[in-house]
Amino acid sequence: MAAEAAPGSVGSFGGALKGDRGADLALRLTLVALLLSPIGGPGLRLLLLALPAAGLVFPPLLRRASLWGLLGTLAALRVALDWPLADNHAYLLAYWCLAVAFSLGARDVPGALARNARVLVGLVFAFATLWKILSPDYLDGSFLGATLLLDPRFEGATRWFAGISLEDLEAHRAVLRAHVDGLQPAAVAGLELAHRFSWMATGATLWTVAIEALLAVVFLWPGERGPARLRDAALLVFAASTYSVATVEGFGWLLLAMGLAQCPAERRRTRLAYVAAFALILFYREVPWAVWLAEHAPLPT
Amino acid sequence: MSEHDRWRWRVAPALLLAVALVQLALARGAGLSPWSGGGFGMFSTSDAGGRRHVHASVLRPGLEREVAVPPERSDDLLRLLAFPTRARAEGLARALAALPSPDYGPASAVRIQIWRTRFAPGTLAPSNQIVREFEVPVGGG
Repeated sequence: MAAEAAPGSVGSFGGALKGDRGADLALRLTLVALLLSPIGGPGLRLLLLALPAAGLVFPPLLRRASLWGLLGTLAALRVALDWPLADNHAYLLAYWCLAVAFSLGARDVPGALARNARVLVGLVFAFATLWKILSPDYLDGSFLGATLLLDPRFEGATRWFAGISLEDLEAHRAVLRAHVDGLQPAAVAGLELAHRFSWMATGATLWTVAIEALLAVVFLWPGERGPARLRDAALLVFAASTYSVATVEGFGWLLLAMGLAQCPAERRRTRLAYVAAFALILFYREVPWAVWLAEHAPLPT
Repeated sequence: MSEHDRWRWRVAPALLLAVALVQLALARGAGLSPWSGGGFGMFSTSDAGGRRHVHASVLRPGLEREVAVPPERSDDLLRLLAFPTRARAEGLARALAALPSPDYGPASAVRIQIWRTRFAPGTLAPSNQIVREFEVPVGGG
């Protein structure tokens, strides 16, 4: 756990943050994300709601390493109790909260936060890309093809973009859910998929692995030059596109808070874009825009 | 970044790296679902724990009866599907062997199979394959 510096000392967060409100904002967004997307079982959830609320209501708490250390420990405890069922962003939340706790004791708090955020985001996307490359059913497009049909989170986008009716979608799902276990199972006839659906599945497959690989490269690229300049743009494009259909808002908000933490102080517009993207993901979650489009403004066939 | 501060941005990334590498090894070699375990394999394969399914049979001499996992064991089942270890299979097997049965005599073993679904490229025709299989002696037979 990071030692907490006395207020006003060289290592104090308040002093280090003068002229760099972005780090402060990143921490606030992390806490807001915890409130908007509560996690953990009944006991842990209460604490994981009370602590972020306290951090938002009492600004000095926001800057205390002990608050973040406790949040990180509780998030890690949740992962351990749920093992192996916790989502990946539960792990990332624990790492990020611990990283914040450690950074708050640094002489250069915004610098330590930025570096933690950069490396964590880079590693997340490096492993996400690696897994996609290692998975034959990702590379041949069958995973995302099946997911676009089976996963209810994609239903609106699939119906709108691919022009598949709700009835056809249910019929497709029945085929994909057919049980064909056994040593010599009866073969299940596949689907005759519309061209537009196939393009959608192929496009989503290529786009996802490409943007995630790009994010891994730009966030792990040393220094601030070359590909590193694309960090903010790539993360913002990823968030605005991916979470429009894959409503995993907790992950999206966490990534945006970390993105904001590594965004240099002078880029005010970019910081504003991070906040806007955070709000956009809330919009995606609350407004079933793709379902509305599928029902009221279908794409021409 | 000073020497004093250097460790402050290394601990959390080192934790992530260590967990993700262990997850990679467990997923490649021990049946852990790539979606689970903190390796960031989400949305990379249809082999998510929640999309796996189980077939469980209680064995008695000369008889094998497939049984459903009771709802009160659903949490154990979810964990077994995501990471089918011998220890978890043994725990579930003991519970299944103790279920009321119309068959005569004590159970001798429980067979548990964890299956995943693959989808054919192009047509998405589903086919299933076993991820892990356990035969757990439960005594008495």
